[in-house]
Amino acid sequence: MSGALWPLVKLSLARDRRTAVSSAFGLAVGVAALVFFVSLGLGVGRIVREKIFPVDTSLVEVVPAQLSFGLLGGGALDEATVARLEALPGVERAFKKMNVRAPAVTIYRGDFFGRPLHMGLEILAVGVEPDFVKGDVMLGEFVDPGPDKPIPAIASTRLLEIYNKSFAPQRSLPQLSAQLLAGFIFPIDFNRSFVTSTPPNASAIPAQGQLVGVSDRGLLAGITIPLETAKRLNAAANLDAKTFTALSLKAVDPSQVPAIVAAVKGMGLRVDDQDRRMAENAGAAVAISTSSLALLSVLICLLAAFNIAHAFSASVRAREKELGVMRAVGASRAQLFRLVLAEALLLGLVGGVVGTTLAVLGGAGLDAAAARLLPEFPFKPETWFERPAWLLAFGVLLGVAAAAAGAFLPARRASRTDPVRVLAG
Amino acid sequence: MSGPERVIEARHLVRAYDDGARGQLTVLDDASLEVNAGEFVAIVGRSGSGKSTLLHVLGGLDTGYRGQVTVAGLRLDGLDDAALSRFRNETVGFVFQSFHLLSGVSALENVLLPARFSARRVGGLEGQARQALERVGLAAHAARSPGRLSGGERQRVAIARALFSSPRVLLCDEPTGNLDTATADEVVALFKALNQQGLTIVAVTHEDRLRAAASRVLTLTGGKLS
Repeated sequence: MSGALWPLVKLSLARDRRTAVSSAFGLAVGVAALVFFVSLGLGVGRIVREKIFPVDTSLVEVVPAQLSFGLLGGGALDEATVARLEALPGVERAFKKMNVRAPAVTIYRGDFFGRPLHMGLEILAVGVEPDFVKGDVMLGEFVDPGPDKPIPAIASTRLLEIYNKSFAPQRSLPQLSAQLLAGFIFPIDFNRSFVTSTPPNASAIPAQGQLVGVSDRGLLAGITIPLETAKRLNAAANLDAKTFTALSLKAVDPSQVPAIVAAVKGMGLRVDDQDRRMAENAGAAVAISTSSLALLSVLICLLAAFNIAHAFSASVRAREKELGVMRAVGASRAQLFRLVLAEALLLGLVGGVVGTTLAVLGGAGLDAAAARLLPEFPFKPETWFERPAWLLAFGVLLGVAAAAAGAFLPARRASRTDPVRVLAG
Repeated sequence: MSGPERVIEARHLVRAYDDGARGQLTVLDDASLEVNAGEFVAIVGRSGSGKSTLLHVLGGLDTGYRGQVTVAGLRLDGLDDAALSRFRNETVGFVFQSFHLLSGVSALENVLLPARFSARRVGGLEGQARQALERVGLAAHAARSPGRLSGGERQRVAIARALFSSPRVLLCDEPTGNLDTATADEVVALFKALNQQGLTIVAVTHEDRLRAAASRVLTLTGGKLS
């Protein structure tokens, strides 16, 4: 559209302010609702994905089959099987995992970050290869230290979150961070349990654990220690120290995962995708809720477009003579079409910008209210919203598109104004 | 030796309308017209005789006719909408009985209306519009909206709008029809003055004063000009 028409666009809108304001308001409501709900859905989805179920989409967790098929495959995860799995197409690396098969407990009596603590806990421990968690190790090297030295241990990020948000407040214990925890030493008794009987003639193996970091890849209800330590402890307890409890296969990229899963199952092994499925289910629930609300918002935008169609139809009818005069002084059909469409586009732009701004402000207000009014709970986010640039741009574009759609037929009607008929008399 | 420049040449114009059950109503029936530069032609006739239709055909507003129309050297029959619109914007100016000004905007903005649709990009549009208002004696009323002007003043704003693009021909459809006697006299005097400045005027009218001011009077009867 040529810039010369802009003064007429502004004049037309200024002369009928009420219609202009109501049209833009309708669009703003629809756009605000859409941007608000989609940004809320994206934000909650991010919390589920990154905090509650932090699933690495390029990892496939392989566990032994419950039944062995002999020559057909399946059974234990030994070194030979690991080598075959690591050689599968699309696999970048295989990370071996071995549970400490002996029971273990910790009985802590002493100062716990400034508070006296008396606590006994059953402990699960899994050994992993150092590279599996190397990005999260904050203290020393994550390798087997040998007997009589503190065992490097990694705690779960989620466990720390649950401790900070639920356990610590209820027991008046201090809030902890990964930095604070690094270096914390606690006693462990292997071959001892609060809940099961230990094997006959098994004597407790006293040891110490030292927290060296916190990781998303850490065992949720236990500690993660070096693989070689797990092997050593199992051997010392006369338990299986050769086969692995699980294997994490890292795919070259996430798109290779389905093929890897199929190949693993073809080998008679199982894929433990419980976490992934929970993440997917939670993500799907969020996506469905978000989609429903987004659909409702799109319906509001459609209503706004109908409102614009109605208002502009009335406006074009009322301005018939004016449009006829424009034709008489040299307006082409295309120029009249663009003139009416430009009026709607301007309203759409205003509605889109106002709606998007309202959504951002509403979200910020909700975040502030949630921070002030909601009690602390695990995974409580600082913000419930995610507002990527594309969403904000989409909000504005939706306003413009809805306005353009609504004004299309009235604009076409305006372009077909017959000056001879409307200027008669 | 060449004669005066021919500004309008219309030949064998036929314009008929569908008149429902009565069939076709032919308002122009082999009408022909020639107008030279600088002429002031009044076209008279009874109501419904086709005077306005003829004016609309000459101005490129009505395209449903048969025959040939040439204005300022441009053959109108067969032109597409964009070309006809450019022709109306640059070559002719319309003045209507009911003024047809945009309400709620100033006289100056009304005069500027043709510029909003012009492909020509010339500087000083506002100055040009003020000059047009000055030509019709309304320079002091540029900021007033039509609602605050008298009938005569509104018609003069409409004339200024028609003059804005420096047209070759002014096409006037009953330009004094909605004015009182004194005001109509003023407008007729204005047309005479514009004509004396060299502007070609074709006015459809049934008023004696405009007929008297014209250099030539044609009568439209039975679809034909005489």
